[in-house]
Amino acid sequence: MHTDPSHLPRRDLLALAATTGVALAGLPAFTAHATPERPDDTNSPSHMSSSRDTLWWQAPADDDSMIEQGLPVGNGRLGALASNDPGRELLLVTDATLWTGNLNDTLDADGQFPYDRDNFGSFTLLGKLTVDLPDHDLGAVSGYRRTLDLARGVVTTSYVRSGVTYQRQIFASRPDDVIVLHFTQSGGGRYTGTVTLEGTHGEGTHGEGTAVAFGAAFANGLKYGAAVTAHGTGGRVTVGGSRIDFAGCKDLTVVLSGGTDYAPDAAKGFRDPSLDPEQLARTKVRDAAAHSADTLLRTHVADHSALFGQFDLALGTSSDGQRSLDTWERIKARTETGDPDPELEAAYVQFGRYLMISGSRGSLPLGLQGLWLDGNDPAWMGDYHTDINIQMNYWMADRAGLSSCFDALTDYCLAQLPSWTDLTRRLFNDSRNRYRNSSGKNAGWTIAISTNPYGGGGWWWHPAGNAWLCNSLWEHYEYTRSRAHLEKIYPLLKGACEFWEARLLTTTLPGSSREVLIADSDWSPEQGPLDAKGITYAQELVWALFGNFCTAATELRCDNSAAARISGLRKRLYLPQVSPKTGWLEEWMSPDNLGETTHRHLSPLVGLFPGDRIRPDGSTPDDIVAGATALLTARGMNSFGWANAWRSLCWARLKDADKAYQLFVNNLRPSTDGSNGTAPNLFDIYELGPGDGAFQIDANFGTPAAVVEMLLYSRPGHLELLPALPDAWAKSGSVRGAGARGGFVVDLSWRDGKPTEVRIRSVGGRTTTVAHGGTSRSVTLRPGASVTLRDFAR
Amino acid sequence: MRSSPYSAMPVRTLRAAVVLALAAGAVTVAPVAHARPAAPTVSVAADAPAAKPYMGWSSWSMQSSKYPGLNPDGDYSYLTEANVTRQTDALAAKLKKYGYEYVNIDAGWWRDNAWKPEYDQYARQKADPKRFPHGMKAVADHIHAKGLKAGIYLPAGLEKEAFDDGRAPIRNTDGCTTADIVYSDLRTTNGWDSSYKLDFSRPCTQKYIDSQAQLIADWGYDFLKLDGVGPGSGKSGDQYDNVADVAAWHQAITATGRPIHLELSWSLDIGHAADWQKYSQGWRIDTDVECYCNTLASWENSVDDRWDDVPAWTRHAGPGGWNDLDSLDVGNGEMDGLTKAERQSYATLWAIAKSPLYTGDDLTRLDSYGLSLLTNKEVIAVDQGDTPPAHPITPSDPQQVWAAKNPDGSYTVALFNLADRPASVSAPWATLGFTGRAGVRDLWNHENLGSFKDRITEALPAHGSRLFTVTPHGSALDLTAHEAEASSNTLAGNASVADCSACSGAKKVGNLYLGGKLTFNDIVVPKSGTYQVRIAYVSGDARSAVVSANGGAGASHKFPSTGDWGTVGAVTVPLTLKAGSNTITFDSGNGYAPDIDRIDVPKSS
Repeated sequence: MHTDPSHLPRRDLLALAATTGVALAGLPAFTAHATPERPDDTNSPSHMSSSRDTLWWQAPADDDSMIEQGLPVGNGRLGALASNDPGRELLLVTDATLWTGNLNDTLDADGQFPYDRDNFGSFTLLGKLTVDLPDHDLGAVSGYRRTLDLARGVVTTSYVRSGVTYQRQIFASRPDDVIVLHFTQSGGGRYTGTVTLEGTHGEGTHGEGTAVAFGAAFANGLKYGAAVTAHGTGGRVTVGGSRIDFAGCKDLTVVLSGGTDYAPDAAKGFRDPSLDPEQLARTKVRDAAAHSADTLLRTHVADHSALFGQFDLALGTSSDGQRSLDTWERIKARTETGDPDPELEAAYVQFGRYLMISGSRGSLPLGLQGLWLDGNDPAWMGDYHTDINIQMNYWMADRAGLSSCFDALTDYCLAQLPSWTDLTRRLFNDSRNRYRNSSGKNAGWTIAISTNPYGGGGWWWHPAGNAWLCNSLWEHYEYTRSRAHLEKIYPLLKGACEFWEARLLTTTLPGSSREVLIADSDWSPEQGPLDAKGITYAQELVWALFGNFCTAATELRCDNSAAARISGLRKRLYLPQVSPKTGWLEEWMSPDNLGETTHRHLSPLVGLFPGDRIRPDGSTPDDIVAGATALLTARGMNSFGWANAWRSLCWARLKDADKAYQLFVNNLRPSTDGSNGTAPNLFDIYELGPGDGAFQIDANFGTPAAVVEMLLYSRPGHLELLPALPDAWAKSGSVRGAGARGGFVVDLSWRDGKPTEVRIRSVGGRTTTVAHGGTSRSVTLRPGASVTLRDFAR
Repeated sequence: MRSSPYSAMPVRTLRAAVVLALAAGAVTVAPVAHARPAAPTVSVAADAPAAKPYMGWSSWSMQSSKYPGLNPDGDYSYLTEANVTRQTDALAAKLKKYGYEYVNIDAGWWRDNAWKPEYDQYARQKADPKRFPHGMKAVADHIHAKGLKAGIYLPAGLEKEAFDDGRAPIRNTDGCTTADIVYSDLRTTNGWDSSYKLDFSRPCTQKYIDSQAQLIADWGYDFLKLDGVGPGSGKSGDQYDNVADVAAWHQAITATGRPIHLELSWSLDIGHAADWQKYSQGWRIDTDVECYCNTLASWENSVDDRWDDVPAWTRHAGPGGWNDLDSLDVGNGEMDGLTKAERQSYATLWAIAKSPLYTGDDLTRLDSYGLSLLTNKEVIAVDQGDTPPAHPITPSDPQQVWAAKNPDGSYTVALFNLADRPASVSAPWATLGFTGRAGVRDLWNHENLGSFKDRITEALPAHGSRLFTVTPHGSALDLTAHEAEASSNTLAGNASVADCSACSGAKKVGNLYLGGKLTFNDIVVPKSGTYQVRIAYVSGDARSAVVSANGGAGASHKFPSTGDWGTVGAVTVPLTLKAGSNTITFDSGNGYAPDIDRIDVPKSS
């Protein structure tokens, strides 16, 4: 059972953590943390990671290019983009919970939700930290280089100034709940400069003791605060007014923390009134600063690398020429030459994993920009978009060895559920809402296209959004077979089913006497008619939801009668047919194409991916597979970020390795001046207009998910090895730690396009077939046991 | 300083020799590296006019700015005796020892704050009594007293207000008046049409110029900026052809016996480069650098244009006459309206292009960074030394490398990042024509950075730069030439072979536009790697092409103008080639690409 630890006084909480060793991982709030477990010196991963897990650049970011060139760090809650400019280190600091807005429960005249930064709200910056080193102007240094060590979670900058080599490391520690900047040098150099911490909402910073800090509250009552301290050796560090001055220091350590009084509890209005964020930030930086920077680093690396190491990927060998290029040169060369760069391509996947480890642990889940911002007006509020984006953000987690990072999404949905239920009950059947249930019935819960962390929705109602969220949560159960997770999500599934039970309409298909159930008026995201009944998107998602609920009820041995009822409804659900006019799987219950042929969304293909009702394995009628393939073909190969990633995943499901790979490669195209593609820092950029690009993190997760999907297909009871292995990676490669639905983890090696060895570990699964080409094996395992198979190459 | 009257004859002969040498260089191109003019080796006597680009200060930047407080009595009211004196004193105190010597009074000295002019009885400009209560000679005298040289300004033609209904007498003539020196139809001329065009077929016209020249010589001026000169100054056609004016000024100045530096402005027509070289000591290649805004300049207004506009002119610069990039407003960041990086890049381009170095800043308010930029002796030496101007050796992409081969075998190498965000910029030694190691000295930072193998790469801020002296320790790069016109190449679209006397093989491939494509087949290299491929091309304006190898997407590069359609230039682009046979393609895409003479592929990567 999920216990809410916030009921306990903090002292008890600490004691609990200390005695049980239970990390407070599931606590999405800025609170006192358990005493970090410190690795001993002899056994610490203090050395650099291998070069293939290290990205590097030969230029920093500046204030105006942070979203394309800033390097992200984060401890799952507290994050920053770092400029790494020698003369002016700038960190744009974020806390995942620093949202404006509120419940937003006054509908607009059309029965839909306001979508603005005041009522719905927006994700915003916590503050800006700068470390100015006036003598280290970029124009005066040479040999500049910075690296992002994905495996250790450390950003390192080095350069030479007047014969002295200077180095700084930046990391965001989860165990110590701080961001650390450690400045060192060799060759007799000294650091002289200023540390400044500023809010971005007009807060006043003040020094007190050894730290400077600020604290304030939004109009919505959210309290927040941040603090920074610094210490050095060999020089002077003085806190004065709103800044910290340092002079003549041989080395310098800067420690920052901050957060809000957000609490994931609708009953308490999503606040913890006992929290004083500024004071807590001061305490955290003081406590962390009591340890050496090396100790903080070792503690952080042990924590980060444990998660990072759960998955490994090798897609082949790159050339010496490719290896000699920095990451940005390499991204450009990948497109300019057209030559595969297998190590870069694997590193792109690992970068996605790095972002997830840094951005999705113990707080709110990853929104449109994850944990990273360059201002307070992110595109689409940096919110949770429920019609593809938040789902895509988590497609990678289980596939790529980061199941624990998925919990933030689960916890979010659970915390929002009371509010979502309340809003649905009070507002969904508002007579002005074109999507209301025409039956007049109303039950369960649903959401809007956008959601915020205060239980509120934004933009338009999104009836089928509940089903898609539930299906995502369900898939996590399929990967992990975690009974605890199943119990947590069961109320969400049940409420969503209740919603659809009230909403489905009975209709008789034209030209037949067949009665079917269809979804009431809805909008196939985000195109075509606004009031279409029985859209494929809703039919597929509800069909999957009902099935998942029935399985859940069976496994939990509860709600037998409800499950039977839902099972009955499921059998009557209308499922899409192929248009005789276009040859495509229909998006609307119409033979006509009512939208854009190459529209970004693949909503009518949710049954192909992420669902798997449509399978090219003979179990699905050929005409349906052909119709889905024709529709996917018509949607085209030339979209952007998440739309390419989704297409790639669908082609991987259809075992078309060339197309799946080409779409992956399309997302690697360098983004220049805001064009679609990959920025120097590997963030995916979506072109809003000429010269204007927005960071949209979904492709950074969806694209890696596609890579894994090309290597391993899974559904409960069935694994397929290398279903869509592209020629570029065929020569040899391996993946270790790939999650498989059904409760397995797979290590797989291949050579010349064929599996050479596969090790299957059960994390709860028992029986599965393992197939490649025409070969299929059946495997039965106890949870925790593993088996290695070697005979697929023949 | 100069004891003997200055004679124009030796100078003209000298310049002719230089021009000839350059022309000879241009037709004997064999290796592309030599297509660029060799460093002029003719040494010019130190007292010859414009042996080096001049250095100093000009009043116009502050006059033209709306920066608070500069022009309190209306637009352009900054120009006064008091202000010129103040700047003279500051120049003498702070910058003179670094070589800055000219104090140049720009437009308006004969006009009041309402821009109403004053003329003497001979239709010659006369000091506005409010601006210059002691007259123009007194200012020059003060400038000279500080050991500096004095500059003054005039527009081309007979100013309309000086015409005086054609009644004003022309000095030293037998009754000629202003009516006798212009065209009967009173056609206007110069960049603002503010003057009547002078008719030099009429006998008194030269006398008018002589009288003006004599006046400024009598006042003691050492420098004249003649402004609004065409073709140029935004004008073309016979009406705006002021070559005769410039020739008349040259003759008139010579006749005064006083060495007066003649500088022409603005955006002079490159097609007349030979005329400007013949008659003047410098010519503005571009529009004003000033922004006419709340600062003196701004990066986007026109500072950044210079990187595109200079290359066409580079070969025309040399002792006796220089490409003038306009004022160097880098002395006070706030007033200049530029970042530190932009100011350094501005100064770097001016120095390597060997532009005159005259600042338009308020010399009484230089900030410490500005002072360090204006007084960096190593950078000044690049501008003033016996080295040729630098030329882009990579395409005019946002990241650029410019270089000049110095007489001592070293290279002056500038890295530029013209992008709006930081970027690394690399200068592979192969683009300079050698391989192995080289020593690098950082001129801005006065620091030897050490020995670098194959290349130097530095992180540059947005609009940033670095400036190095690179001393090769390796060996010359071995190249294999591939002619564009070779029959083994594939032409697509309208692409066709054309004659080109300056090109190797006397042929090139042109008509590369709107889908026109040139593919070199069978480019064989011994091993896989990135090759710095040199492209010899002809382009009368800046044009782009997508250059790719082996069917990859390639990259679009902008090729700087070579100045005209008869001059070959060369830049180097990196291409990833495979061991064995490769193709290299130039694709015009949806635009217009330069004509290609040939490519030179290194024998090793």
